[in-house]
Amino acid sequence: MNAISIDTDRCDGCKACVKACFVNVLRWDEAGRRPVVAHAEDCVHCNLCEINCRRECITVTPDFSHLRWSAL
Amino acid sequence: MAELDSLGEVISADVLVVGGGIAGLAAAITVKEKDPGLEVLVVEKATSGWAGKADRGGGILAFLTPADKPEDFVRFHVHHIGCFLEDQELLSEYAHTCNGVLDHLDAWGVKVAREKNGRWKYVKLPGLDVPWGLAGVDLDMCRRLRRHAARLGVRFLDKVALVDLLRHGDRVAGAIGFGVEDGACRLVRARATILASGSQNYRVMPMWSCGRGDGIAAAYRAGAQMRNAEFGSFVNMVHAASREVVFGAEDHMYNAKGERVSEKYRPGLQPDICAMAAVGWYREHLEGNGPVRVKSEENLLQIGSEILFSTDLVWERPAAIAFWSRLWEKAGAAESGSVASMPEVVPGFIGEQSPVRVDHDMATSLPGLYAVGDVSYSGSAWTGAVPSPPGRIRGTGLMNAVWSARKGALSAAGYAAEAGELPRVDRAHAAALKEGIFAPARREGAGVTALEVVREVQGAMTPVRYSNWKSEARMREALGMVLEAKGKLHALKAADPHDLARCNEARSMALCAEMFYRASLERKESRGWFVREDFPERDDANWLKWIVIREKDGEMAVSTEDIPLEGYPIKP
Repeated sequence: MNAISIDTDRCDGCKACVKACFVNVLRWDEAGRRPVVAHAEDCVHCNLCEINCRRECITVTPDFSHLRWSAL
Repeated sequence: MAELDSLGEVISADVLVVGGGIAGLAAAITVKEKDPGLEVLVVEKATSGWAGKADRGGGILAFLTPADKPEDFVRFHVHHIGCFLEDQELLSEYAHTCNGVLDHLDAWGVKVAREKNGRWKYVKLPGLDVPWGLAGVDLDMCRRLRRHAARLGVRFLDKVALVDLLRHGDRVAGAIGFGVEDGACRLVRARATILASGSQNYRVMPMWSCGRGDGIAAAYRAGAQMRNAEFGSFVNMVHAASREVVFGAEDHMYNAKGERVSEKYRPGLQPDICAMAAVGWYREHLEGNGPVRVKSEENLLQIGSEILFSTDLVWERPAAIAFWSRLWEKAGAAESGSVASMPEVVPGFIGEQSPVRVDHDMATSLPGLYAVGDVSYSGSAWTGAVPSPPGRIRGTGLMNAVWSARKGALSAAGYAAEAGELPRVDRAHAAALKEGIFAPARREGAGVTALEVVREVQGAMTPVRYSNWKSEARMREALGMVLEAKGKLHALKAADPHDLARCNEARSMALCAEMFYRASLERKESRGWFVREDFPERDDANWLKWIVIREKDGEMAVSTEDIPLEGYPIKP
């Protein structure tokens, strides 16, 4: 599974990462005013949350080993 | 009679757009341009402007350069791409009008690359004499389209998955679904509904992961006709290690003996990948000649050490460069164990099934329902015997998305304006739909997970021997696997609203896979993308036909329809 880490101390709560995630892995926590990694198992490492984070506080570490469909 | 709002929150719009990717946004903008008084609502499962595939692709638009003639494009397409399965009238209209897409995107604030003299900056595919060129667009196009749409007054509802279509008699009257975060039921009533929800990609390949066939399945369950479902088995060659796409790999493949095998299966240069590249990979493995590798320095799509689509040597595209460089930087770490100059490749199954049938107005067979972009790419039939984008012409995906969205939006706007009152929704029907949608959330005790069903469907789709190198026996085996997965759908259990969305996706995937194999078993020939080991030749005597699928009495009814070639200019 891909690993997504968010430095919530650095995060300024702009929500760009939640919007950027096209597979709803990230979710906005209204109470804490911060994004949370809700469904890491669905992450496809497009990296757009990481790229669009203006405070550079998100890191996506892809796990390529889970992409092992059989073509044979 | 109980009120509709006892089922959930009811929202109304003149035009409902399902899907906030490039086609949905282009459709919403076009409706507003045509008739600013119409209320337009875009509903998206993720976030409009960030959703869909457009901003995670090549960012290229195939258009006719000043040197290309529409008639040449049509002739090339019929002979070499769609292989006489095209609706030639619609293809001709596409060829004559697709260039307008570049002007529209430009006017809507999207960055299409230009030369200093103002002309579109384009390239021709290296080594190929084909009647089109490729323009470049930056990969922030959807965000820009959303901003433009919002300025025109388009409304957005994000994080809501619309699952089924509401009806008033035979007419589509909106859609019903739920919030993927809050789980609340929502019903959207609309005078006209535009499906722009993408193709079916079985969530195998990462960047195509959002195409899960929800819209196809919704249209099918509502009774809409499907066409060309048998072409939904697109593959791209990918790095064995990282499973990232190796653009252009199919033209420089070598087997373990060091023999160049590309030409053996794929004679002559072709504009894009064909099914035979994957078939060749499979047969080399079968004969003990695997693994198959590519010689990077022979890649025609490469400029120096950079791939044409992802370098700023051709077009200045900051968002695209940021996306591709980050992706490949991380993939590179995984690939470092392979021989850098000759990495191993495997077929990466994508699918791209796009069978919702539409007419020349992008109207489906159901009154009030339109379908644009990838959801109806094959179903529109201008494309012939190919899967949806790239459909053997790189750059037709974005082009078709906007071109068909404009056509469909103009039709839907006219329909909505003339439709009078908002159609009443059949409440009993809506209640039954809600019951079905939420069933996995209510299930108690042991159940089946969505991912379990998805893996089983993937197992029937990804092997080349099932979905691309087809035979009667192997397809029956694969169909059996799909039906077994389908048999588990009644036991799906959802842990939360996000998982409920996955349950619906599992249902959509099982349906699309069944449709693919039932249509494929019917077509007893090879044509275009469609390859059968047991019927290796093109059969013009018997198979100049479209295969049409629709639900009839709870069963999948398959029929054929002769292509009206007598009225078309180009004949076999």
